[in-house]
Amino acid sequence: MNRILSFAIRQQWSGILAGVIVGGIALSFATPQFLSEFNWFVMLRSICVSLLVAFSQMVMLGVGQMNLSVGALGGLVAIIVGGLMDAWGMPPLPAILIAIAAGGAAGFINGWLTVRTGINGFIVTLATASAFAGINTGITRAIPFYNLPPEFVAFGNGRLGPFPYLLIIPLIVTVLLAVFFSRVKTGRYMLAVGGNAHAAQLSGISVPRAIITAHVISGLTAAAAGVLAVAQLGSAQPSIGAEWLVISFAAPIIGGASLAGGSISILGTVIAVMLIGLIQNAMVLLAVDPYWVTFLLGALILTAVWINRYRAYRMGED
Amino acid sequence: MVMLLDKITKSFPGVRALNNASISLAAGEIHALMGENGAGKSTLIKIITGIHRQDSGSMTLDGEEISLTSPREAIRLGITAVHQERNLIPRFSIAENILLEQLPTKNGLVDFGRANTEAREHLAKIGLDVDPAIEVRHLSVAQMQMVEIAKALSHKAKVLLLDEPTASLTSAETETLFKLVRQLKAEGTAIVFVSHKLEEVLSLCDRVTVLRDGETTLEGADMAGMTRQTLIEAMIGRAERIVAHRDPRPSQGDAKLEVRRLSTAAGHKDISFKLGRGEILGLYGLVGAGRTELARAMLGKDRITGGEVIIDGKPARIRSVEDAVKRHRIGYVSEDRKHEGVILDHPIRSNIAITVWSRIARALGFLTARDETAVAMPLSRQLEIRTPSLEQLVGNLSGGNQQKVSLSKWLAANADILIIDEPTVGIDIKAKAYFHELINDLADKGMSILLISSDMPEMVTLADRILVMHEFAIVSEYANDRRYENASRAIMSAIHAGREHSRAAAH
Repeated sequence: MNRILSFAIRQQWSGILAGVIVGGIALSFATPQFLSEFNWFVMLRSICVSLLVAFSQMVMLGVGQMNLSVGALGGLVAIIVGGLMDAWGMPPLPAILIAIAAGGAAGFINGWLTVRTGINGFIVTLATASAFAGINTGITRAIPFYNLPPEFVAFGNGRLGPFPYLLIIPLIVTVLLAVFFSRVKTGRYMLAVGGNAHAAQLSGISVPRAIITAHVISGLTAAAAGVLAVAQLGSAQPSIGAEWLVISFAAPIIGGASLAGGSISILGTVIAVMLIGLIQNAMVLLAVDPYWVTFLLGALILTAVWINRYRAYRMGED
Repeated sequence: MVMLLDKITKSFPGVRALNNASISLAAGEIHALMGENGAGKSTLIKIITGIHRQDSGSMTLDGEEISLTSPREAIRLGITAVHQERNLIPRFSIAENILLEQLPTKNGLVDFGRANTEAREHLAKIGLDVDPAIEVRHLSVAQMQMVEIAKALSHKAKVLLLDEPTASLTSAETETLFKLVRQLKAEGTAIVFVSHKLEEVLSLCDRVTVLRDGETTLEGADMAGMTRQTLIEAMIGRAERIVAHRDPRPSQGDAKLEVRRLSTAAGHKDISFKLGRGEILGLYGLVGAGRTELARAMLGKDRITGGEVIIDGKPARIRSVEDAVKRHRIGYVSEDRKHEGVILDHPIRSNIAITVWSRIARALGFLTARDETAVAMPLSRQLEIRTPSLEQLVGNLSGGNQQKVSLSKWLAANADILIIDEPTVGIDIKAKAYFHELINDLADKGMSILLISSDMPEMVTLADRILVMHEFAIVSEYANDRRYENASRAIMSAIHAGREHSRAAAH
């Protein structure tokens, strides 16, 4: 027991896990609705999209880069999947596959531009974000696609007790990413590039390839988030993705990722997304003005980063 | 010959780093590559290892002409290197760092068990007994160095480059390394050994190639028949110069700066020394000994956790860099000139006047180019900064002239105490001699100078006294008699004693 405890304390996510537990207990006393099955369903369903968005940025942080276009990219994919099913009458499965592939392609464009032009990825993705958003409104004229196949919408709303069907997707992605970054060579190379690009290059690792791979994975996860958001809303809104950027950085960083690159925590990101979901839920249950949620998120990022720095300093890692 | 580089030329904007340089490597030899800082050694190494491409000249491996496009390509052809700067990934395990691009896999997943076993074999070869599962950020500098060597040896290399491999090793560790190098030589590897330490080169190497100003002054000469003197002449183009005897400096009673039992957040323990008015105090140590960190603490950049700093007989609290510069008149010429010394895309005048902006600012904080030029012009003349105009961006100057700018700003600020960190790294021989005279001059005019240098001849030429630092403590003080042999022996043995001492304490 002692060993488990000391292991947990050494982990960066120990603080936020405590936050989730304490917050959950406090909430269940503050409002009885919190423990209701339906509330859990709503909370878990909101976590599904957030988690994929967070992963989309986490992958970039791992390789020491950023992707400012996660929201625009996810939004574009949402429109593509919606448009294919509504305007073109395509069945869900091929529509989803095409939309996800489009996300991967958009990620590849981000990566390819970053590597080939030598322009900072921050600027490249700032520009492509604007471009993706432009295509989005160009296609939709800001009008959502409403006519989606019933089985698709049913999947987005279905649940097994408190568990939404949608949850299965982020769970699979979590496991895949965990294995990818801990045990697959390509994943290790990406972290090596993030940790010390110069050393990785001198060891014979292709830095451009690692960066492009990261962008493709980032694009695929953002695309998955876009598709899930459509399923969850029951319509393809052009505004999907507009507010993803903050949470995409907040969750990985609160979870312990280093902005310098090369250090990410999948478990930490999952717990951070849970914490954010819990806070959003609490605000709803306690009838707090939803606009304050954004404020709280900002405060949370600062606190988490500050605690991590202090922790690293105390443990002599800094 | 395993590898031949013939008439290699390489230019960077503003400098010709290599000019028709050649080197030939035979199987089973240890080939010394020597030259002063800025002579072109590192450029040549970068070309051999595929980091840079030559502008002209040919490269042959096993009789076939090759053209390297990346380090990856070089490694594939059997050319590996241990570079001077650390090239490890801090949060990866030792095993993973060693085997990085050749990690064993099972069913598509990295097999860490086998990686650890393989890494342990590589570590055993170099006599390093550590758990390969440990993350490298927990290792000492010397251990990291050994891990890098193990990493280079993990490839079955035809050509192995060792760039200053002993810079952070003790004598015992150096011996282990040499034994290993000789064994690799017996197995037929061509080894390029880059070192500043003449004694090492003379005892270890079979042949020597020397670069000076980008040209080869000795090409594959037999080491038998070489002496310290002949090597130095090949490197600097003249005999070793002993700086003329100087008048004795003022006694320590007149201390400008005194540090008493100082400890810092960076890890210094119990640091005490005095710096006299007009004295040059040398601070010598291996890479990672804590010299630059001490400078940072004196500047208010790292936190001081205990002890006292006394300036002009009064206790001084240094709260911030601004405090150090403005109130205590401490200047710092950084070892990292391009990042900390100058602002590359600002003109010379602003770079020099930056320290006195608050003095020369007019109403509402306005700064004029004229006022800056008025400050910068006399200094630019005094230090002979070679430039058509003070409007020139510092990034367009040569390394030596950049360093003059980096130093000038402290003269503009009237600094009383100047901390100079590795003043002549990467600048040419003429500029180096100029700097040595300049530093001597400044001291003669009463400036107190703390000189940090890893360049032993520079230390012996300039310092009045030499403090030897090891693992964030001062282990010895040496009154410099300006005789290289004496100083070098005394200093190295002090470092070794410090190493043995801390090792004994650890057991």
